[in-house]
Amino acid sequence: MVKNILPLISLLTIGIIFSSCKPKIDASSVISAGEINAQHFVAIGDGTTAGYMDDALYHDGQINSLGALLQTQLKLVGAGEIYMPLMGNANVGTNANLLSRLILGYKTDCLGVTGLSPVRFAQQGEGSSLTTSVYSSQNKFTNFGIPGLKMIDTYQHYIGDPNDLGYNPYFGRMSMDQFTLPAWSGIWSTVRDNIFNGGNPTFCSLFLGIEDVLPFAKSGATANPMTQLFGPPGVGFEESFASWADMFSVQNIKAVVGTIPDITQMPYFTTIPYNGLNLDATNAESLNQIYGPLGFSFTVGSNPFMIEDPNAGAFGVRPMVEGELILLSVPLDSVKCHQYGSVYPLRDEFVLTLAELQEIRNQILAYNQVIRQYSNFYGLAIAETPDFYSGLNDGFVYNGVSMSAKFVSGGAYSLDGIHLNPKGNALLANVFIRAINKKYKATIPQINALNYPSIYFP
Amino acid sequence: MNSNIKKEIHINKLFILDDIKVIMRILIQLLFLCLAPSLLSQGFQVNFQGQKQQGMGCAGSSLPRDASSLFYNPGSAVFLNENSVIVGGTPVFANVLFIDSASNGAYRTNSPIGTPFSIYGMFQAKSSAKLKFGIAINTPFGSTIQYEDGWIGRFALTRLSLKAIYIQPTFAYRISDNIGIGGGLVISKGSVNLQKDLPIQDANGVYSHAELAGKAIGIGYNFGIHLNANKKLNIGIDYRSKINMKVNDGEVTFNVPNSLSANFPNGNFTSSLPLPSVLTIGAALKFNRLLTFVVDVNAVGWKVYDTLSFDYNQNTSSLSDTKSARCYKNTFAFRGGMEWVALRCYSKSASNEIMVVTKIPSHELLVRCGGGFGISPVQNGYVTPETPDANRAYGTLGVGYNFNQKTGIDLSLYYTKVKRADTNIETQISGTYTTIAWCPGISFYYRW
Repeated sequence: MVKNILPLISLLTIGIIFSSCKPKIDASSVISAGEINAQHFVAIGDGTTAGYMDDALYHDGQINSLGALLQTQLKLVGAGEIYMPLMGNANVGTNANLLSRLILGYKTDCLGVTGLSPVRFAQQGEGSSLTTSVYSSQNKFTNFGIPGLKMIDTYQHYIGDPNDLGYNPYFGRMSMDQFTLPAWSGIWSTVRDNIFNGGNPTFCSLFLGIEDVLPFAKSGATANPMTQLFGPPGVGFEESFASWADMFSVQNIKAVVGTIPDITQMPYFTTIPYNGLNLDATNAESLNQIYGPLGFSFTVGSNPFMIEDPNAGAFGVRPMVEGELILLSVPLDSVKCHQYGSVYPLRDEFVLTLAELQEIRNQILAYNQVIRQYSNFYGLAIAETPDFYSGLNDGFVYNGVSMSAKFVSGGAYSLDGIHLNPKGNALLANVFIRAINKKYKATIPQINALNYPSIYFP
Repeated sequence: MNSNIKKEIHINKLFILDDIKVIMRILIQLLFLCLAPSLLSQGFQVNFQGQKQQGMGCAGSSLPRDASSLFYNPGSAVFLNENSVIVGGTPVFANVLFIDSASNGAYRTNSPIGTPFSIYGMFQAKSSAKLKFGIAINTPFGSTIQYEDGWIGRFALTRLSLKAIYIQPTFAYRISDNIGIGGGLVISKGSVNLQKDLPIQDANGVYSHAELAGKAIGIGYNFGIHLNANKKLNIGIDYRSKINMKVNDGEVTFNVPNSLSANFPNGNFTSSLPLPSVLTIGAALKFNRLLTFVVDVNAVGWKVYDTLSFDYNQNTSSLSDTKSARCYKNTFAFRGGMEWVALRCYSKSASNEIMVVTKIPSHELLVRCGGGFGISPVQNGYVTPETPDANRAYGTLGVGYNFNQKTGIDLSLYYTKVKRADTNIETQISGTYTTIAWCPGISFYYRW
């Protein structure tokens, strides 16, 4: 009997141990492209698609761009190699003013207090990259993310003309024109010309429109008017977008398009509170003497900053009201040490008033209505990025990590307060992937955004 | 006398033949249990306190077999007429696989081998004494789980080590031939070590890390009643109280970038972890001289584990006290098993005139099997990487062999596979945990 039982038990034991030491990965989770053909994917967009972040275009930002991250996932369903106009140096980069990227460093302010602050990584930006062509006729770019690109710019010849005021150097360096007016046409090539020159996209992402309002907002609504809604392609937003949607349809290209977030929710506009004027008794008293005759009073503690507003009575000065925004471009040392924002009111260019905010937000709503209407008509997938951006403003938890729109510590924005950092781009790319999956019945896995960096602390 | 022996041997042979069918059927059922895909566990409870019970599906509150009854039901220990010492252990080989639902990413644990152990000593002043005393040292709660580097839940947990050693001095008293009671004080000494990454990167992109470590102590009790209902049926009831393990001077260590060291000061914390009460009602049926069945039902008071909080002595703008909802619920576990005497020999003294046969078998081979089902205390939305818990079915096998009247060895094997999909409300970690554990145990006893 013992002889019978023991082998049986041993057999069973060995069987259990060897068959199931470790749980096996279920092979039933199939990755599918659904209705899309991802083979020739092209990402079209502005700085976010290009990987512009920390106020510069630099190599390490580019490889973590919305376009690159999207394509990395699309490679799982057949997309080809990523070709993008990479900058030379991993971390220097350049903005349009030839300044290098920002990093988090130490800075001593006018009060002698040293603290963490965005500082430039290098003395100078990588300016030479803007005058060196990176075009390759063999490896057509799959990423047409161009910092500063507006929806209407994609039809314009001038953005490729180095002598034009509207020239975009980020486009010039990647254009097939290679800084030379093409003899065969006699006109500078457009972004659209470049995308369809020899490349035959089968699937596109299009995330444009932020730059149609952002320069206006960054000027405190004093300059750089927003793109008008109506007008022919290259002038009006509606027809420019409609023309893209129609083109996708005609060429049988499936696409995912992003709606435009409320840019006034970005840290560039929300970091400095409207009532951040903290006064002691002495300062409050002296401000009361100055502004008392105008009917404004100050108390010890927090008070609204004073701003210029031509519509505010005879002196054109008033305190801010809740909901109004101060831009990150405001000279903070002047605020801290030279009574800027109190004795000297903040100039219009550093402030967005309620009326200005309304104007900007209405314009974005109108753009988004256009995008949704035409996308639905032409059967394009819509990535509702406003939900994601406003989710950051409310704050959410992602795999145990709290994400928010808070400047520096929020984890999603880069140090320019407008563009996302790599982790933020990964989360945004997931919004696009979910939209593709939903519209085109695909099962493309989302990105584990925790594998992508955010801000480095010294 | 002589004829008795013959009878015993005869019966034994008969049952050997009859029982082959039964055994085969049970083995097949067991195999089925082992391969059944769904299953479970109960929090961080570890039910490995005796090899004989483990062989029988971890049941045995009503079946006094050895000094491990001091744990399972002190009231039944008085029905063992012996002094004995047992030393045993059950290495736990557990592997967890987590599949992230959004990215399909797969992550595994590389936890160290768990080492639940138990030591028992049970003594009586004289043979058949009504009063017995003993000491039980074992580890009914605890686990160490370590996830692979860079896993997606690293900011919730990278490693958790929980240890609780119960030391239980016990007295048991036989009220009558049919009723025994027993009870003991339980002193629980433990330690906790929790580590996780923080989503803050230094200048080289390396993530920050936090480690919380502390020692804990708590006190409770164990009380049991044993009833011999008739010659075939025993009933046992045992209650082990909850124990609140308090960590008073835990140390927290942060590894963060220099620029943030003031925001994350190393220092002390307090916390507490409740170990739940367990009420067990069990029955043992001596089907015949060779076959015994046992069942246990546990009611576990997991509701006490409502919140896991850490109170830091020094708070900063970046470091506030934390309270994480656990919201465990009270649960039940059902366990059952059987023991079959495969071989039983009595020694005889080789006197020419009279054969003297001892009461206690000189050699004995016992075969055991069992299984159980436990309902998870963890509700949907509250599954965490520290205890990826689910309803659990398990199967066990066991063998015992007495070399002689005084010494013996017991072996057991436990197997379970558990699967649970969940999205944690607090961390938003969303995916499927699959756990496979196999736990071979061994113990030796010496009795006199």
